[in-house]
Amino acid sequence: MAAYDLELVKLRKVYPGGTVAVEGFDLQVERGEFISFVGPSGCGKTTTLRMIAGLESITSGRLMIRGQDMTGVPTEKRPTATIFQNYAIFPHMTVRENIAFGLEVRRLPAAEIRRRVEAMIEKLELGDVADAREASLSGGQKQRLALARGLVTEPEILLLDEPLGALDANLRRSIQEELKILQRDLNITFVFVTHAQSEALSMGDRVVVMNAGRVEQISAPFDLYTRPRTPFVARFIGRNKIIEGTLAETGAGTAAVQTRFGRLRGVAVSDAATVGSPALVVVPSEYVKLEAPDSTPEEGEDSIAGTVTGIDAVGPLAYVSVRLDDRQSVRIETHRERIAGRGMEPGARVALRWRSERATIVPDMG
Amino acid sequence: MHHLKFLRGGLAVYTALFIAFLYGPFVVMGILSFQKGPEGGPQFPILEWSTYWYRHVLGFAPPSRVAPLPIGEALVRSLTLAFATMVVSTVLGTLTAQAFRERFRGSGLVFYLVVLGMIVPGVLLGLGMALLANNLGIDRNWWSTAFVLHVVYTYPFAFLVMLAIFNRFDRSVEEASWMLGVTPARTFRKVTFPMIFPGVLSAMLFAFTLSYDEFPRTLFTAGSDVTMPIAIYGTFAVEIHPNLFAFGVLTTLFSFALLSVYGILMALSVRRARMRATGIQEEIA
Repeated sequence: MAAYDLELVKLRKVYPGGTVAVEGFDLQVERGEFISFVGPSGCGKTTTLRMIAGLESITSGRLMIRGQDMTGVPTEKRPTATIFQNYAIFPHMTVRENIAFGLEVRRLPAAEIRRRVEAMIEKLELGDVADAREASLSGGQKQRLALARGLVTEPEILLLDEPLGALDANLRRSIQEELKILQRDLNITFVFVTHAQSEALSMGDRVVVMNAGRVEQISAPFDLYTRPRTPFVARFIGRNKIIEGTLAETGAGTAAVQTRFGRLRGVAVSDAATVGSPALVVVPSEYVKLEAPDSTPEEGEDSIAGTVTGIDAVGPLAYVSVRLDDRQSVRIETHRERIAGRGMEPGARVALRWRSERATIVPDMG
Repeated sequence: MHHLKFLRGGLAVYTALFIAFLYGPFVVMGILSFQKGPEGGPQFPILEWSTYWYRHVLGFAPPSRVAPLPIGEALVRSLTLAFATMVVSTVLGTLTAQAFRERFRGSGLVFYLVVLGMIVPGVLLGLGMALLANNLGIDRNWWSTAFVLHVVYTYPFAFLVMLAIFNRFDRSVEEASWMLGVTPARTFRKVTFPMIFPGVLSAMLFAFTLSYDEFPRTLFTAGSDVTMPIAIYGTFAVEIHPNLFAFGVLTTLFSFALLSVYGILMALSVRRARMRATGIQEEIA
């Protein structure tokens, strides 16, 4: 049996005092995968990362790296490296000394250390500041130094704890790309913790959504965005229109929900839900079209009615705000020419339509 | 507005008085130390300006009716004691503060037990130690009983200084070191200690100066070989001559020299910290 690079089995963390930080976390990560953990603050994502790093003890469950049980193995003996949110650069050492520090305890020949440090300095373009201290580094340079220092020890798994949080938006985007390229290049597993869903979705091969210490869903980014499996994911990820109702019928991977807008259909994520139980119809607003209220829906489309409350135009894009008859508001992105001359102005009635296979039916556990 | 003016005037007077009382005794002592010797006494007026009493303290004056201050050996003892106290208290204080970085069972109690050492009245502690030593048949010496009390007294100061330092210490820097494969012990030596060094310096200064002029705890515990403050006190019983003032000036200058070294070392590390801060500002701009 080929071992996973990282495997979590029923991982659980309870802080002294009884607060449950992480509960029942199962995860298998293949070598070279880029895994994102995303969730609101306090959801347990950083605690999980710290358990993988060995900076936090495990209350129960198992944590294995390449098939080796890591329970009781101290941080310094684990084949992981961590990039901290504040970079945690050693302020009293130069860039070069920072990078060499982890190698010096490994009893490598001095020439080998020098070679690896210089290679890392070159790879992460730190040559200009190699003899500078943290004081004179920019945010991007500190970020790259933290990466260089972590990677030079050749970890099996790189753990990144909101490493882009302290950077401005432009820098963040360019470093996101650099990180992705670096990861493909090195072919080692990255575990990336963030609270920004856009970051998690754009970088991860798979995304783990956490809430209140539990895993809500583990999916590839597109699946996560278009097929949420829990009410939390439906609300947290993407820009979904969510309509409450009760499950009216199920069958063959699809379901219908009775809502105040009538019966709406969609793809069922769970076969376990019983007819009559609460359910949500989740529609990514990107799939919603605006039509005249008296037009006939096409075959396979669902439709609900609302009133236009405002239109914001940004260049060729237009954002139409619609108030539905359940008093919820929804904002639909469309193109200016698609709504031009169709009487869509504040106060006008409008129909919101989508192909029903785009909708997802999620059991509403409350 | 009027109110503020009044307040400001009041504060100015208060500050002036504070400075007068702080430096007044030292200025008077400084002036009187230049009294004519050996005839001049420890009071105004100055009969004639001279450096006689300084020569007297340092042993360069010809023998006269004024006995030399019995401070040579006492001074060496005091410096040795202060140095040893400084080392032990700073090490203990740093280690204890390190332990207090994490909550442990009974940490509140331990905190108060440590801090008790600086709260308990010194004379009582000294007396208690003397009685205990007598009962146990232990000789009282400056390097044994007095030394223990000096550590008990200065250790809480060092501990509190280091506690404040660790409060502002970013733990992730140590975690970064561990994850690089560096053992906790080596991490402490190579990462933690260089970063807390300014605090260690402050703790050392506290411990040294507090021990150097410690009186009440030492009085009953130093035995027959006394420390400098006790030796000085002993001379009061006979007659006071301006040689004491000359000695006072010299020892104050010595303290200033210590403070200057401390100040320079601190300024260096503060400048490093400021450079770090400017680095961050430039990056924001």
